[in-house]
Amino acid sequence: MTEQAQGAAALNAVIADAASGIALALRGEGDPYALTRTLPQEDALSPAAVRVLGADALAPYALDGGRGADGAGSADAAMVRQALTAFPPGDDPAAVSTWSYRGLVEATRALLPAHAAQLPPAPDPADDWLDTEPWPRLSHRVSQLASLALPGLAGALTDRLSGRTEDLARGFVRAVRRRDWQQAAGLGRWLARLPQTPPSLGLDSGLRFVQQMSGDPRAAVHLTAARTFFGRGR
Amino acid sequence: MTTARAAPAGPRAHPGADLLDTLVAEGLDWVERHRAHFRLPPDVATTADPNLTLKPLGELAELSALIAELHPRPELRARARRLLAHAWQEARQGELFAELVRGEPQATYPVELYGSFARAGLRDAAVEELVRTTTGLRGWQLAREDHTRTLAVLNAEARIGLPHHTDFGAALAHTWLGRRPEPWFLECRTAYGLTHDVFHLTDWGRAPSRLSPAAAEYLRLWLPAWLGSWLEERLWDLAGELLAVAACLPGAVFDAAAWQRLAAARTADGALPERDDPPPPGTGAAECFTACYHSTLVLAFAGTLARTATLDSEAPG
Repeated sequence: MTEQAQGAAALNAVIADAASGIALALRGEGDPYALTRTLPQEDALSPAAVRVLGADALAPYALDGGRGADGAGSADAAMVRQALTAFPPGDDPAAVSTWSYRGLVEATRALLPAHAAQLPPAPDPADDWLDTEPWPRLSHRVSQLASLALPGLAGALTDRLSGRTEDLARGFVRAVRRRDWQQAAGLGRWLARLPQTPPSLGLDSGLRFVQQMSGDPRAAVHLTAARTFFGRGR
Repeated sequence: MTTARAAPAGPRAHPGADLLDTLVAEGLDWVERHRAHFRLPPDVATTADPNLTLKPLGELAELSALIAELHPRPELRARARRLLAHAWQEARQGELFAELVRGEPQATYPVELYGSFARAGLRDAAVEELVRTTTGLRGWQLAREDHTRTLAVLNAEARIGLPHHTDFGAALAHTWLGRRPEPWFLECRTAYGLTHDVFHLTDWGRAPSRLSPAAAEYLRLWLPAWLGSWLEERLWDLAGELLAVAACLPGAVFDAAAWQRLAAARTADGALPERDDPPPPGTGAAECFTACYHSTLVLAFAGTLARTATLDSEAPG
C-alpha cells in the first residue's frame, strides 16, 4: 500500500469509529455524547474526520433534551473550530465540501450556541445545480450532503430539494439496485425529511432493508437519523 | 372501456421521429436479412429446443404484427407484414399449432403462439376447433405457477375468441404490476415479468388505457430509475422493453438519451445485442442470431410504440 493509501485507510477507520459512536448516541444508547470522547483530541486525524463527518459530528446534540455530556460543549466546539481552520472550503462553491463546511458551521451555531463565537463565516455555496442536474447525478451529490438533514438545519436546501423529491426517490431506487448502501442511506435520510416522498417507494421498509444489507457505520448514522429525527424506517 | 392506440394516420411531427424510424427500419432490415434463422427444423414438434425454434418464431409474429398494424410509415408497415407472412408460412398456415397441441395438449405455449397470429387475422379452423376442446377442460383452468404467464394465456384466449379460463383482474392482482411492490426490489427476472404484465394487459401496447391510473402513476414514477439502472448495466434487451412500457403511459416522455444509447449499442449491421458488446468478430451466424434477434425485434417494437405514443406535450390538461 502506498503511503497515501495507508493514510486514507487510517482516516476511514477513524471516521468509521466515530460514526459508530454517533449512531449509538442517536439511538439513545451508551454514555452521554461528546465529540471529544468519540474522537481523541490528541489524534492527528481527528480534525479531518470531523470535517468529513460535517454536521453529523454534532448530530446527537440535536436529540430532544440532548445536552451532551456535562461540560463537553466547549471542547467539542474547539475541535470543530480546529477542523474548520485546518480544512477550509475549496475554490468550487458548488462542491460537496463547501456545502458540508457550511453545514458544520450552521450546526455548531444551532446546537452549541454558547460556544459558537469565533467560528469562521459560513460560505454561500452555489445551488443552481439543485435545479439543473439530471436525477442520477443530483442524487449522488445530494446523498453526500446527508449530514445536513438535521432538524433546524439547512431549511432552505430542504425546500429546494422538495421540488425534486421524485428524482431523489428514483435515485434511492437506483442506489439500492446498485448496492450502493451509503448513497441509498443518505438519500433515504433526505427522503425521510421531505414531506412528499411517494408512498409507493416504500421508504420505511427501504430504510430497514438498507440497514440489514449494509454494515457501513456512516450509512448507519443516516438510517438512525432518519428514524430518530424524522420518524421513518422504524 | 378502453381507447385503442390511434390507427396510423401518416407520419406526424414527433421529436424523435428520425431516430425512431431509423431504428425500426434498420431493425426490420436486419431481421429480414436473417429470416432464414427463424426456419423451423423438422423435429420442431418433438425433440427440438423450443427456446431456439418456436420462441423466436412467436416473437417474430407478435412484434411484426404490431409494427404492421401501428407504424405510421406505410413502407415500414409493409416490411413488417412481409415478416409476419413469413412467420405464418413457417407455421404452415397454422397446421403446426394443431400438431403442437396434439403433442402436448396441456401446454399453453401453442395456444399463446397461435393467438399472436389469430390477433393478426391469420387463422386456421382446425386449430380453433381443437383448442376450443382442450382449453374448455377443467384441467385448463388450474392455476399456473406464474401469474404473468396466466395473463399471456388469457390474452391469447381473447385473441382466438375463447372464453377466459379465469378472471383477468384477479390474475393481474397477483402480478408485480397488480401489487406494485417496492420499486427498489425489482431485479432482472421480475422486471421482465413486469414488462410482460403491461404487454399482456394492453395487448402489446395497442390498448394503453387499460392501465389503471394507479398502475400508470407507479410506472411513471419508477420507470426512469429502472431504465437508468439497466442501461448502466448494459442490458439492452430489458431497456428496450422498458422503453416500450414507457410508450404505453399517458403523457409519455420521449427519452432521447436512452434511445441514443440503444442506437449506439447496436452492431454495424443494425442488430441490438441482448446485453453488453456486440458478438466479437468470428462469432458464428447462428450464435449472432441467438444473441441479437430478440433485442432487435424489441427495439423495432418499442420504436413503433414510441412513435405513436401520446407525448406529454400532447396530453390533455
